[in-house]
Amino acid sequence: MASGQDSSGTTLMDLITSDPSAAPTSGSGASSQPPSSGGGGGSVGSLLGKPTAAPADRKSKRGTLMQIQNETISAAKALNPPVSYAQLARSIHELAATCDQKSSQRQLVNSVFPKLAVYNSVDPSVAPSLLMLHQQCEDRNVLRYVYYYLARILSDNGSQGLSAAGGIPTPNWDALADIDAVGGVTRADVVPKIVDQLSAESSSDDVEFHARRLAALKALTSSSTSSSDMMEKLYEIVFGILEKVADTKQKRKKGIFTKQGGDKESIIRGNLQYASMSALRRLPLDPGNPAFLHRAVQGVEFSDPVAVRHALSIISEIAAKDPYSVAMALGALQDILHLHDVLARVYLAKLCHSISRARVLDQRPDIKSQYSSLLYQLLLDPSDRVCFEAIHCVLGKVDNSESTEDRAGGWIRLTREILKLPEAPSVASKGVLSKSSEKSSKARRPQPLIKLVMRRLESSFRSFSRPVLHAAARVVQEMGKSRAAAYALGAYDEGATLQAYSDNAESLDSDLENPMAEGTRKPNPLSNGHGGMDTIAGLLASLMEVVRTTATPDMAVTLLEIARIFATKVPGKIDADVLQLLWKTCLVGAGPDGKHTALEAVTIVLDLPPPQPGSMSGLTSVDMVSASDPKSAMALQRLVQAAVWFLGENANYAASEYAWESATPPGTALMMLDADKMVAAASSRNPTLASALTRLQRCAFSGSWEVGPLQMTIPLLYVFEALGNVRIRIAAVQALTTIAIRSGEPYRLQIYEFLHALALGGVQSNFSELQLSNGENQGASGTGLGSLISPMLKVLDEMYRAQDDLARDIRQHDNSKQEWNDEELKKLYETHERLLDFVSLFCFVPRAKYLPLGPTALCNYHVLTRSMLNCVDSAKLIEIYRNRHNISASGGLSDPAVATGISDLMYESKEAQKETGTMQSRIDPDLAMAWAAGLEDDVWANNAPAVDKVKDFLAGAGTDAPDVDDEEYMNSRPSVGYDDMWAKTILETYDAEEDDGRYSGGSSPDSTGSVETSISSHFGGMNYPSLFSSKPSSYGASQQTIREEPPSYSTSVLQKRESFENPLSGRDGRSFGSNEDEDKSSGNPQSGKALYDFTAGGDDELSLTTGEEVEIQYEVDGWYYVKKKRPGRDGKMAGLVPVLYVSS
Amino acid sequence: MVCVFGCILRFHGVPAEERLHWRSFLVKLGSENLKGSKNEELHVASHKSVSIVYTLIGDVCLYIVGKDEYDELALAEVIFAVTSAVKDVCAKPPTERLFLDKYGRICLCLDEIVWKGLLENTEKDRVRRLIRLKPPVEP
Repeated sequence: MASGQDSSGTTLMDLITSDPSAAPTSGSGASSQPPSSGGGGGSVGSLLGKPTAAPADRKSKRGTLMQIQNETISAAKALNPPVSYAQLARSIHELAATCDQKSSQRQLVNSVFPKLAVYNSVDPSVAPSLLMLHQQCEDRNVLRYVYYYLARILSDNGSQGLSAAGGIPTPNWDALADIDAVGGVTRADVVPKIVDQLSAESSSDDVEFHARRLAALKALTSSSTSSSDMMEKLYEIVFGILEKVADTKQKRKKGIFTKQGGDKESIIRGNLQYASMSALRRLPLDPGNPAFLHRAVQGVEFSDPVAVRHALSIISEIAAKDPYSVAMALGALQDILHLHDVLARVYLAKLCHSISRARVLDQRPDIKSQYSSLLYQLLLDPSDRVCFEAIHCVLGKVDNSESTEDRAGGWIRLTREILKLPEAPSVASKGVLSKSSEKSSKARRPQPLIKLVMRRLESSFRSFSRPVLHAAARVVQEMGKSRAAAYALGAYDEGATLQAYSDNAESLDSDLENPMAEGTRKPNPLSNGHGGMDTIAGLLASLMEVVRTTATPDMAVTLLEIARIFATKVPGKIDADVLQLLWKTCLVGAGPDGKHTALEAVTIVLDLPPPQPGSMSGLTSVDMVSASDPKSAMALQRLVQAAVWFLGENANYAASEYAWESATPPGTALMMLDADKMVAAASSRNPTLASALTRLQRCAFSGSWEVGPLQMTIPLLYVFEALGNVRIRIAAVQALTTIAIRSGEPYRLQIYEFLHALALGGVQSNFSELQLSNGENQGASGTGLGSLISPMLKVLDEMYRAQDDLARDIRQHDNSKQEWNDEELKKLYETHERLLDFVSLFCFVPRAKYLPLGPTALCNYHVLTRSMLNCVDSAKLIEIYRNRHNISASGGLSDPAVATGISDLMYESKEAQKETGTMQSRIDPDLAMAWAAGLEDDVWANNAPAVDKVKDFLAGAGTDAPDVDDEEYMNSRPSVGYDDMWAKTILETYDAEEDDGRYSGGSSPDSTGSVETSISSHFGGMNYPSLFSSKPSSYGASQQTIREEPPSYSTSVLQKRESFENPLSGRDGRSFGSNEDEDKSSGNPQSGKALYDFTAGGDDELSLTTGEEVEIQYEVDGWYYVKKKRPGRDGKMAGLVPVLYVSS
Repeated sequence: MVCVFGCILRFHGVPAEERLHWRSFLVKLGSENLKGSKNEELHVASHKSVSIVYTLIGDVCLYIVGKDEYDELALAEVIFAVTSAVKDVCAKPPTERLFLDKYGRICLCLDEIVWKGLLENTEKDRVRRLIRLKPPVEP
């Protein structure tokens, strides 16, 4: 009978049904058949042209045979007619009749039954023969197959092809019927017979046959659960067995101690326990039935690990529905912690979770705490599977149907609760922790859960196993979800930032909920499968969320490690912007000491070797780059680019070197004109920044990326490579410019020199040590960077020129003892503004603080004006101009036109900015075009949103002006001594504060926008990983991130006020600032205590010593703004500290 | 739990109409990712709440699919049990031919490892005893 298979089935079918002896039985050593016997062997032999040789050769021959056989399958197919299902069925009938003969048994086991397995269902007409075999045959192997097929017949629910078993569709039974010896047998006829026979067997107490009893029971559970008769019968049998074997409390002790040696009786009991518990697990749950629960609870104490697992899984399922009765029925569970079976402990975690969360047990806190402590102990489990399950449970994840409240509670539990191990001697003596004694003693100390979890995740992320990485990633994702829930409910922070957080949480959630959508737009290289990237995208975001709340150096280091692994292992799987966020988070979280490390971690990406084609060896090393196809090579390149950009943006932050907060004594910069000395000075003073500089310079030059045989071997890749290199270089140059603009001297000069050299070409001699001889002209002409560098140089040129002019003017004024008149000041102010605008086009700088004219503090010239007591620098001059302008505009202090004056000023400055904006493009349109063209897309022409943003930014920046004024007023007030002006300042402060409020609250997206501007203008055209780009909803979270973190410089004026102060105005200004803070703080400050030492990493941070009492003013995104009772060693009273460092 | 195994397909708890989709999804997954993969190197994928762990052993692709408590790690344990059973039966990484020759025995192993969609025995010795109709722990 022809069996109608589809094409794929045919091959399979042919393979299976070709004469079995065609294959030498090279497999199982137990087989007594000599290889290459029979006709099939002959056919292969004839193909070989030689008969089988001596046994010594057999091994290799066999290998050859196997190989050739594969090739000659088609030949074999032609030689051997396929065996049809009907033939198989018939031979079963025939062989069953002669089953007492060895040959029949052998044939059944070796050919008939295995082939039958290929079909997806078994025809009931073979059942009588199977039952006959079941009764008469004694061969274990035959019997095992008989049970197997009986179970399959039972599990067939009548319609073909719907059983759990797949395979080749069985030919229509009706068509078989007429050729069948038994003929016309239906399922309804045979099933009762099978059930009867199996039930009888499974109820029999004959010890000799207890293995058959187990198998029969197992086969019985396959029967469909729809018939209630059947169920009753099954329950009866299972409970019958359990009745006899389960209740053996006294004997069980003996069972434990004699487990391995074991007396026969207890072993058989163990086996029966196993079989009955497994069967019970397959039966439908019967939660109302006390006997059911009772047997399951008894099962927890069985000696067979699989039985205990099933018992626990039953109990945990019941506990989800009826926690009360389960809690009442269960005894102590401490021993289960050390169960051998991993899944058993997983179920234990679930069980503990359901009971410890149960509302009905609110009256019994003892029980609840007992179970939650058990759950927390599972966090220490040696198996990742169990630990992760425990984390999920702690986090409140059960089955995705849990409520937001549950998740929020889970997050709070995870972050607040502490694991205290009970002093149970059994834990130490036979515990799984006793692997290393000092480890267990360490683990015995009370530990915060979050610490345990983070440590566990850290080690898991080092794993080489994809499942572990994947599972750990999911844990992190769940942590993110729970945290988001906590914030959404406001459970975690009670303050003004609530709204922002819930936004944050929502966007995070939506992020996580559509991982597939995200996954689709990512490159898809070969490793890790689809799922890997779906989660990785979301997980890193969540990771950062975690770290941002719990910003401690340890975790930042962990994160960096993770980031590094992701960057190196799966470059294609991680979005560059995600990676950047991660770096950024770490940079902020790492604290002052960690900043250098954090930056180092970024540079690791720069050091990644170019991808090696054909490196298929997989995950042999963490550091090996798995980028073996063009796509991942591209992705890796994007990462490098991102790293370069990141360095540029954040090097200044990491090194705490800002032009506007420069540590360089004024004046020294101008003296350091010798480049060599400068570099030396630079690296001695700030190694972090210096190393970042060197790194970037190297990238701008040669890009270690061009080297390698890759280009020759894969031309396509070469194109990408070359493209990428230019991009990387552009990015590097841009990054350098950013640093130059933001840094004080001597760095700016150093970069200036470098860029200048690069623009001129022929710089090899100067920087020969930086060269990686790639045989390419490394000058700008070769790199095509000339046109790009010129606008940057132009900025720096302008800045230096203006500085020179200023210095000259100041000198002139000094010499002539002449006061600065309004015109001159106005000119200066305009230059200042123009430069500021110019600079802002390249990168974001805080307009209020940035002085493009340099900190040209010429302290000798304090005679110039009355109002300038201490210093003359550009800031002061500009300030004076502003003051005067302000005064002249308002006309009088009591004049109601004050406000108008301010708005006039704002208007004016806006105008001026627009003007300068256009002026700039008028001045050097070529350069601007070159810039745009260098980005390969017309940023300005095509990227309309970017232009809009620039405008927004400019407009938004206009509102900064009054702030600046006020700042300056405040700072200068004590020295100016205008009492009337003081009054006015107070008046204005209200406005300013309102402004501030709006600034840090509602209008902060503007400040984000400003950052956005600079970046999108740089990178928008290159499809640059859009850290700030206008991707609307899903990246809301990241935008938030930007706003909240120091490196973004979108300084909330509130916090930065401290650092604005003129250092020379001393205590007055400071106390003024803090007074103001008091005014602002929302009433009753919370008191807290420093838990650890903390060293301030920036001006707005505050150093703490352990035990110090502080007042918590407010919380900003993982940081407290605290005030000390008295000034610390550094003289500071108030500032930001990480939340975790202070007990609240 | 769903367990898909070369040409053996064991769908537990998967609606009949979804089986073909699953099959083609897995085949696609394997053809994209398993080429050049090392023997027994584990790959992971996920689809919604469902995890998939798959690998290549000899000529045979092995996919294990599961959800809920059967996450990546649990599935990794299952796949480990299955590969060791397969290797035990075939005595080496199987070729397609060898695998099909031992097909019956492998089915029995699977039957012992995954029973009605739930993981049962993972120990090699236990499986080996059970497919010879011996008790899991011998007296």
